[in-house]
Amino acid sequence: MYAVRFHGRGGQGAKTASRILGTAAFLSGYLAQDSPIYGAERRGAPVAAFTRFGREPIRERGGITHPDLVVVADASLIGDPAARISDGITEQTILFINSPLYAEQIRTQSKLPGRITTLGVTEIALQHFGQREAISALLGAVAARLAGLQQEPLRQAIARELGDLGLAPPIIERNQTVALTCYESVQVMERESVAEPANIATTFHTPVYESPSRGTARISATGNSVLRETGGWRTFRPVLVADKCNGCWLCFVYCPDGVISMNKDDRPVVDYAHCKGCQICVHECPTHALVAEREQEGRVAWTAR
Amino acid sequence: MWQRETFKKIKQIPGEEHVLPGTALCAGCGGLESLRLAAKVLGDDVIYVNAAGCFTMLAAYPYTSFKGSWLYTTMGSAPAGAQGVRDALDVLIAKGRLPKSENLKVVVLGGDGSSYDMALSSTSGAMNRGLDFYYFCYDNEAYGNTGMQLSPATPYGARTATSPCSLQHPSGASQEKKDLFEIWRAHKPPYIATVAPRYPLDLEEKFARAAAFPGPKMFLALAACPTGWLYDPAETPEVAKLAVETGLWPLKEAINGVVTHTYIPKRKPVESYLTLQGRFRHLFEPTVQTDTIQHIQARVDAYWVRATREGT
Repeated sequence: MYAVRFHGRGGQGAKTASRILGTAAFLSGYLAQDSPIYGAERRGAPVAAFTRFGREPIRERGGITHPDLVVVADASLIGDPAARISDGITEQTILFINSPLYAEQIRTQSKLPGRITTLGVTEIALQHFGQREAISALLGAVAARLAGLQQEPLRQAIARELGDLGLAPPIIERNQTVALTCYESVQVMERESVAEPANIATTFHTPVYESPSRGTARISATGNSVLRETGGWRTFRPVLVADKCNGCWLCFVYCPDGVISMNKDDRPVVDYAHCKGCQICVHECPTHALVAEREQEGRVAWTAR
Repeated sequence: MWQRETFKKIKQIPGEEHVLPGTALCAGCGGLESLRLAAKVLGDDVIYVNAAGCFTMLAAYPYTSFKGSWLYTTMGSAPAGAQGVRDALDVLIAKGRLPKSENLKVVVLGGDGSSYDMALSSTSGAMNRGLDFYYFCYDNEAYGNTGMQLSPATPYGARTATSPCSLQHPSGASQEKKDLFEIWRAHKPPYIATVAPRYPLDLEEKFARAAAFPGPKMFLALAACPTGWLYDPAETPEVAKLAVETGLWPLKEAINGVVTHTYIPKRKPVESYLTLQGRFRHLFEPTVQTDTIQHIQARVDAYWVRATREGT
């Protein structure tokens, strides 16, 4: 059995990529299984999805704790403990990171075990689609290559899964073309035999009943959500061109998360630790004083506490 | 002619934030933007009673984005929870066990799935009992928290996870959006208003005005939803603006049942609103569904003809 875990941010297409890989494996004659984590996933929040395929019936269910391949759709997830990318990764695990950086740079920065390979998929998507967050087919293609699947079932799988999402045929075709570019471009790693996990927990814990006054979660703090930084959600950051700003306050008013405040000179100050990068401020600025700048990896764009 | 009395200029909007960042709500959430603006008037002496929905993420353990209190309820029972909290506060204050200065505003937060559907009976009960509370419905026109399934707030012609565009139903959703404003109005609460995030002064003014009315103060907030309506998050204000400018989302209030439209749009063609969103893409591709689009336009036109005739 080959087990692949996808990590992404809600909206990037990690779930669809996992479906594309599962369908491509199925069309290649394997038995396949894919499922996303169901939770309160949100556009920009860390999400995960799982694909298993093999020649034998797959009895294992649930999340993948010992992956053969891990596909990371957004390099900013490496520093986010909530994403749990390093779970169950050994020296043999293949790690694909969506990043224009070299594998060696990622290895040095992240200190992740496993064999790392990289490709700037977001850059490829921006170049071909001119749009952020449309990389499910491309991630699926990378995963298919690294998992040793052929091109034709991949093409069909993309058509099927994107078709189910209601995408128009020309868009699907473009996705197929660009996906195959990614398929060709990613540096392949030979699979090494994975040692069976020594011990899988089989004990069940029955929760003890507690009355609601004890048993329900209670938050005694006030306004502590600021401890949770959401700056890593961004693909682009809003940057102020100070001499164009006319101090109209509209960016402050329209920011849903309230991360823009006005200083005493009526100029906006963006709280980059929490800005999710929705670009409403950039879109609404009447004088184009706020511009979108691609987040740069390797530079300290955002750091988790 | 309706006029704003308190909020005349953008720079009167208070700078202090009462819904703090760090929530897991989607980037570009129109519901959050509406709530954030409302909270600038409501302040921190508030207890939010939250029906399960997207806004659950505002105070997901162990973090809360409120400086005030927050109570979580099931989707159908937030107004009942609000009644309990209101009564408890009233009793404690009457007995002298809580100083009057620590009184709180009780605010229900419910999505459209809750407000239009599951909590309709408990809302009706609360209004009937004249409960002194605010009701804030963030309406993104589907069950958004579970993946955009059809709700009674879904408009005709929208595609949702459970109303796909199919051979039998080429238009997607084939029923009309429930008119919750009128259902609420039939209860004669002292104050009802609709608001939209792209009209911040209109929104702030309505929350400021509502404060003067004891009893139920009901708000329907347009929650333009990039995730479910399938548009780029940067376009949330644009989508909210077009919802109002096409006449699909009338900005109005009802004081003791008397309706006043607070903004009269010039009414752009509905296409300008529909084409921005992926949930209506099937009305334009691969073939244009003229009948459906005309139907939507006709409904809007009929609404405004009636509204104008009644002189509101």
